[in-house]
Amino acid sequence: MKITANPGNWFRRGRDVSLAWLAAFAAAGVLAQTTVAPATSSMANASPVDAAQPDRGINEWLLRMHEASRRRAYIGTFVVSSNANMASAKIWHICDGEHQMERVESLSGAPRSTFRRDDQVITFLPESRQAVAERREALGLFPNLLQSPDSSIAQFYAARQSGHDRVAGFDADVVLLQPKDKLRYGYRVWSEKKTGLVMKLQTLDVDGRVLEQSAFSELQLDAPVSMTKLSQMMGNTEGYKVDRPEMIKTTAAAEGWVLKSPVAGFKPMSCFKRPAVVAEGSTTDNTMQWIFSDGLASISLFVEAFDRRQHGQEGLMALGATRTITRRIGDWWLTVVGEAPAQTLSAFAQGLERKKATPN
Amino acid sequence: MTHDTLKTREAISALADGQLRGHEFARVVETVSQDDDARATWHAYHLVGDVLRSGDAAAGRADLAFVARLQLRLKREELVIQTEDAPDLIAAHAMNTGDRGRFHTSNEGANASRFRWKMVAGLASLAAVAAVGWGVTGGLNPDESAKLAAAAVAPVAPAVQVAEQPQVMIRDPRLDELLAAHKQFGGTSALQMPAGFLRNATFEVPNR
Repeated sequence: MKITANPGNWFRRGRDVSLAWLAAFAAAGVLAQTTVAPATSSMANASPVDAAQPDRGINEWLLRMHEASRRRAYIGTFVVSSNANMASAKIWHICDGEHQMERVESLSGAPRSTFRRDDQVITFLPESRQAVAERREALGLFPNLLQSPDSSIAQFYAARQSGHDRVAGFDADVVLLQPKDKLRYGYRVWSEKKTGLVMKLQTLDVDGRVLEQSAFSELQLDAPVSMTKLSQMMGNTEGYKVDRPEMIKTTAAAEGWVLKSPVAGFKPMSCFKRPAVVAEGSTTDNTMQWIFSDGLASISLFVEAFDRRQHGQEGLMALGATRTITRRIGDWWLTVVGEAPAQTLSAFAQGLERKKATPN
Repeated sequence: MTHDTLKTREAISALADGQLRGHEFARVVETVSQDDDARATWHAYHLVGDVLRSGDAAAGRADLAFVARLQLRLKREELVIQTEDAPDLIAAHAMNTGDRGRFHTSNEGANASRFRWKMVAGLASLAAVAAVGWGVTGGLNPDESAKLAAAAVAPVAPAVQVAEQPQVMIRDPRLDELLAAHKQFGGTSALQMPAGFLRNATFEVPNR
């Protein structure tokens, strides 16, 4: 089993932010952290665990899954579904040992092609002839998260192999990533037996019900994928208007915000300011995005100036495993978005407080 | 139904799908412009295409009712199809409707005759449902859920209520934007790699 991380160049690229992102974030006693969700009940049909299988810890499992995707070339069809929603895409993935490239071609909804080279991502929208180029720093973060001595994933989740199954024709280990409190969702992961590649992923609510699942419906491992060809396609922006969303790095404190009661396990990862977003003819002021993560789940706090015309009722909304809570804080409008239970988002919404902006 | 007519219909279908080139293209265009029956078929195929493509829940709300009626009709056709030879039946129906003359968009019956559509029409209505809609839901405690659900604005198509627990669905472009931003910059998770990234790229709300 490969658990050795191989921090190639592309990891280092994200390091400047990752250290700051891992700044400590203490626990809130807002909600009791007692029971573990009975997420195992629905696994009754899985075959019993192979006795010869060594027990892997959660960090080992996560590294194994991660390494599998790094080292392999594959082509497959990926399907994401939740209650009423379903989306699918065709995926090409290649890694030459140093760089990773990926092409994701949507098969449902509006046509779009996403290309990724390490943390550089460009999305082509052929209908509007627009392309959005951006850097996704979060992608370079892992496995720094796991290797960091203050990695808290194991503190809030436990991994347990719960059987075997077959996905898209491949034998897979079924691993349950079970939360140790009710502030986060659990995950059931189908990890391909030989390589560790994640074949299927379910997000489970605190009662063990499936909120959302994504899986390869078809997969060709070690497929012939040409990095040169993908690079050419990614670089060919001819006929497209290329948009590069400007994100200004900032801190919550500098923007005048503080989380007076932290939420257990969630650490602040980064904070950005998005200059004037134009939506349907109306312009809004800077929106701050403050991002938190417990290593598996992530939560974004968006704060913008309150606008009576735009911002309606405070409320709670759901889309697949993603939850959203909106709340007015004086002259400000807060939107919390994350793959976490509503009570966790609510804890963030209640905990955010306006402080006088401090100079940098 | 002669073999030739069947062939012509296949050619028109190919033309409607943009599959014809050169001489073949010219020949079928000629047929369509000269023969009433062929032209009717041509219109029918385009109507079918329109129905199947109207997958947008916001814009295509009226079409949902239409698709529902279509599916009902198709269900009724099922029995007949099981007892007859399907291709002939398709052709016969096309012939019958052809006899009636021109198709109009209101002539919904024209679509009901192709049994192959049933499957695709099912997908079309699924696509309508799959447009991003936020479910206003509970999750905090029952009281609060009820309050939040009651506060929902602009409920849309009842067709989306296929979930086990009824949800009020709303569409909010600003929320979609924030969701996209969350996924781009907030996808800070060990599960991002690779399934998380794929999940986000697959499920992503298109940037406006």
